[in-house]
Formats: sequence, structure tokens, C-alpha cells
Amino acid sequence: MDCRKAVRLMTGLFDKEVSPETEQVREHLASCTACRIRFEESQQLFEMVRQPSRVAASNRFGAKTMKAIVNEAAAEAATTGKSWRSQRWLRLTLAACATALLIFLLPSLPSFLGQRHSNAAFGVLAQSIDAMSSAQTLHMTGRMRTIPGDNFELIGANYDFVPLEMWRQFTPSRWRVEKPGRTVVMDGASSTLLIGKSNSYMTASPQAGFVEWLRPLLNPESILQNELDAAKAKQSDATVTEANGIIRLTVQRKAEGVSANSWTLNKSIQESDHTCIYTFDAATKRLQSLQVAIHVGSQDIPVLELNDIRYDEPLPDSLFALQIPAGATQLVSAGEMSQPATAIVGPKDAAEYFFNGLAQQDWNAVLGVYPASAVPDGIKKYYGGLTILSIGEPFQSGLYRGYFVPYQVRLLDGTVKSHNLAVRNDNPQKRWMVDGGY
Amino acid sequence: MLTTAQQIEGWPQTIAQFERLVGSTQDNLVNFAFHLLGNRDDAEDAVQDVYVQAYRDRVKRQHITEVRPYLFRMVRNRCTDLHRGRLRRTGEAVTDQICSKEDTFSLVAAQEQSKELSRLLDGIPRREAEVIRLRVVADLSFAEIAIVVGSSVSTVKSRFRYGLDKLRSALKAKGETRWTVGKLSV
Repeated sequence: MDCRKAVRLMTGLFDKEVSPETEQVREHLASCTACRIRFEESQQLFEMVRQPSRVAASNRFGAKTMKAIVNEAAAEAATTGKSWRSQRWLRLTLAACATALLIFLLPSLPSFLGQRHSNAAFGVLAQSIDAMSSAQTLHMTGRMRTIPGDNFELIGANYDFVPLEMWRQFTPSRWRVEKPGRTVVMDGASSTLLIGKSNSYMTASPQAGFVEWLRPLLNPESILQNELDAAKAKQSDATVTEANGIIRLTVQRKAEGVSANSWTLNKSIQESDHTCIYTFDAATKRLQSLQVAIHVGSQDIPVLELNDIRYDEPLPDSLFALQIPAGATQLVSAGEMSQPATAIVGPKDAAEYFFNGLAQQDWNAVLGVYPASAVPDGIKKYYGGLTILSIGEPFQSGLYRGYFVPYQVRLLDGTVKSHNLAVRNDNPQKRWMVDGGY
Repeated sequence: MLTTAQQIEGWPQTIAQFERLVGSTQDNLVNFAFHLLGNRDDAEDAVQDVYVQAYRDRVKRQHITEVRPYLFRMVRNRCTDLHRGRLRRTGEAVTDQICSKEDTFSLVAAQEQSKELSRLLDGIPRREAEVIRLRVVADLSFAEIAIVVGSSVSTVKSRFRYGLDKLRSALKAKGETRWTVGKLSV
């Protein structure tokens, strides 16, 4: 190798990557004093201009930048909102909005352990939203303190745990929620509720509130948004921690709809002081479990546990096809109800009309306030021929939009039953209907 | 530094991928922008603009596999725009900016060293100075620098060699037998 070529190739010795000619150049430098001196001068110069001090990004930079990116994503989604071509886009948009909200709220969340920590927590949660929005299916298994067959919202500190299972397919959008005695299936076009205890069913729109509080769990990427909405409204106190590969989002929330009458207090998660603990797998960034405990007196009582959450399992079509048993009674909407013989003017009037119909076993009269195509046999057998002992003054409680009417009746077998009948008329027809409590 | 997996993965497409990209490249990009703009606040603004632009253009850049040098290229272009804009507005030299009140002692030291490097590189042609800066400040390979400046690797190597030669000649002409960068003697 001559000196001219050596000088040209000498530059390769300053590269990060080793070039094939390196060895030849070094051999030349070992034997040529002039080139070696030239190289050593260049090397000294190179070392001189290399910066001994480096400037790192500030602690807040990562979170600030991700906020800007998520804002960009949200703005992008908003401008393309009219041309969403798939459910996937909608879910990504919702995810982006949730992330934006998360970043917006981070400074107000009180329990973060310093700036670096909150940046890390933000990063993982943003990834969680992203990871969950990419899931194709979801299968959650757990248990809940409730009454088999009763509504999905009902919980009670003294109730036993009953199994709960939920399946969700995102494209096409279908889901199923099931506990003993009650199943809801949304098949993409409508949702159907099947109540085993009374052998009755109801079909309504996909948005029907048959699963109540559990509904957000079917859209896991909306969980954070829901929780952070609450934090924004100062309805909750949210904390995020990370340890041992698990991200833990803990949300403490006060009972909603607190009123003078505490009848509904601690009968649903929303109407209880409660703590939700969501865990996310740090590796997959997906929701891993949910535990909910309600605070009763000085005790924390677990009421809901979803500890087995699986993603992208193949779900058979049969899951989303509900077979209605032969002879099942169809529950109807207010507009489809039979007309009562006399005008019903309020909640107490509705309760009296209902119990009078049961007392006289006048099933057509019962259907004037009972939203079904027929009175279920179970109700006929249990309440038919009862004697009204008292009907009290209606009251409201918690989040329930209707009224509770205290009553005491004696059944044919001599049993005296005291309870609160739930009646409501918050429907377009303003029809009074019996909603529960019997 | 991006992992091999990320380089193969190509231009990030999701928020989660961008979160990883920001985490793995932010320090190097901010350091590079700092040496071009002379203060960290401006450097962070420029780099943030680049990340947002990278997200905005994610679809049209999805074929790019060498993400890291492209980000440096974007930062370099963004800083050039800011530099020109600032000079038009105020006429002030970027390296004469006063440190923000958040700057720490180490930032001040880094700023001094950056000024000194700029002083040295100001005496040689801009393109040669740029290659040297990308090699010593951004710590890029010549192949990566070629992507940043849009030239061939051999051209980049030539600019580096000529740049060092001219730097050495300039220093000898000034009689500087011991060169200093900031407060550190070499």
C-alpha cells in the first residue's frame, strides 16, 4: 500500500464500523513514519473535538413529547372521523384519546413517586392502551358476590361469590356475559338478556344496559379513560405503581348517588365506596386482572375478581348465538306494554296496581305495569292470591332513576314478605313499570 | 441507541412504538440539537417537533429501515430552520445565548465546550464541519452520516479527512500548540 492510498483509507480508522482495509492501513502505519505522524496528529485532533460532556434530555421531555404525539394522533383521528373504515380505527382513536387524557391528568394524580417514575408509568400505560386496542378477542373469568339470576349490577358484602365469565370479539363486535341464572349476548345486531330463574328474555339494541357496570370491561382500552374521567371530575384518587413486571393502577372512588335514603348503598359497585385494582403485564402491556373491594365500615370486602384474562383466543360462533328456551316469556319495552285499566299517576299507585293484580290473580291487570308479554309462571305461583298488608311512601336512593315503594304482603303459604318494589317511568312513554324488588 | 429489532422493524407506526423510539433516542438527539442551537430548551423543542413530524409522516416513511440516521437528518434540518429564523428575527448568534435558569453547572460546562467546538469548526468549510460534528457529537458512523447529509460514504469520508486536515492547519497557523476545549486542556 502506498502513502497516498494509506492516507485516504486512514479515515476508516475513525469510523465506528471496522472496514476491511483497516489491517492493511495499520501495517502501513507501522512501517511509514510520515504517515504514522500524520495519523497521530489526526487522532489527537479527533480526540480533542470529541465532546467530553454530553447533554441529556430533561426528565420531563419524554412525557411532554408523548403528549404532543398523542395529541397529534387525536387530532388526526378527529379529522378522519367521517371516514372511519373499520372498528380498528375507532378503537385506536379511542385509545389515543384515552392516552391524551391520561397525559393531561398525570400532573393531577397525587401519588406518583417523582417525575422519572411518572414518565415510566405513563409510558407503560400508553403502551397498555395500544396493546389492548390491538387485541382481537378477550376472555375474562372470575367471580362476583351477587345473587345468581339477579341483575349483573347487584353486589352484596354478605353474598357468596358466584362465577362470572365474559367474552368479547372485536371484529365483528360481539360479546357474551354470563353468570348462573343470567346471560346476555350481543351478536352484533342486538343484545338479548336471558333470565333463567323466571324463564324470560328480552331483546333490545346492542347498547341496551343489560350488563350495567360490567359493560366498560368489555372495552378494556376504555377502562383507563373511564377511570381518568373520574379522576378529572375528582370522583376518585388514582395511583400507578410498577414492580416485579406488573403495572398496578389503583383507583379509589366514593359511592355515587348518595342520598338521604341509603337503601341502594353497597348494593352495586358504583353505589359503594370502593377500590379497583387493575394490573397490567409489563411485558405484554395488557390488562391482567381486576379486583374490586367495597369499603363497609372499617372493612374492605372483595366483591369482584377477574383473575384470568386471555387475549386472542379463538371464540366459536356458538358463543354469540343465544338459544331461547321453549315457553320463555318475552320481556317488552314500555311502548309494547299492555294498557292498564285505569290511569296510573305515580310510583305508589303503580305498586298498588301491581299488588292488587297479583292479589286477584288478574294477570291482564298485572301486565298493565309489568313489562312482559305474559306473567311468568314463577310469579303466578309465588305471588298469586297474596294479601296486601301495607304499602308505604315511595323514596329514591342512589343512582336509581325510579322509586322504591316499601311493601309488606302475606303470601298464600302464610309467609310475610317485606321489601321495596322498584318502579320507574323514565321511558319515552312515561309508563310506570315494575322493575324489581319482588 | 435503537436495538437491532427496532432497526429491522422500520419506521414506528404505533404510539407504543413511538414511545420506545423516544425513550431510546431522545438523549442523543437532544445532545446533537444542543450543539447546533446552543441551549437545551431550544434543543428539546426542536427534537420534539421532529418526533411529532416523524409520527405525522409515519405511513410515508414506513419503508425506511435506518430510522436513527433519518431522525438525525430531521433534527439537523429542523435546527437549520430554527437557526435561520432566529437570525432573521434577532440577528443574534445562537451560541451566544444565555443559559436558561434551569441550566445546571454541567449544562454550562457543556455549553462552553460546544461553543469552543463551534469556534474551531467555524474556520473550515461548512460541509466538512458538519461531517466532523455528526461523527464526534452525534457519534454516527460514516454510513449513517451519509444518510443524514444525503451523500455517498466515500464523499463523507473525504469531507471528514479534509476537514481534519484544515482544522489542523488552521490551529498550527494560529500557533495553538495546545488546544483547549472549554476548560479542559488536551
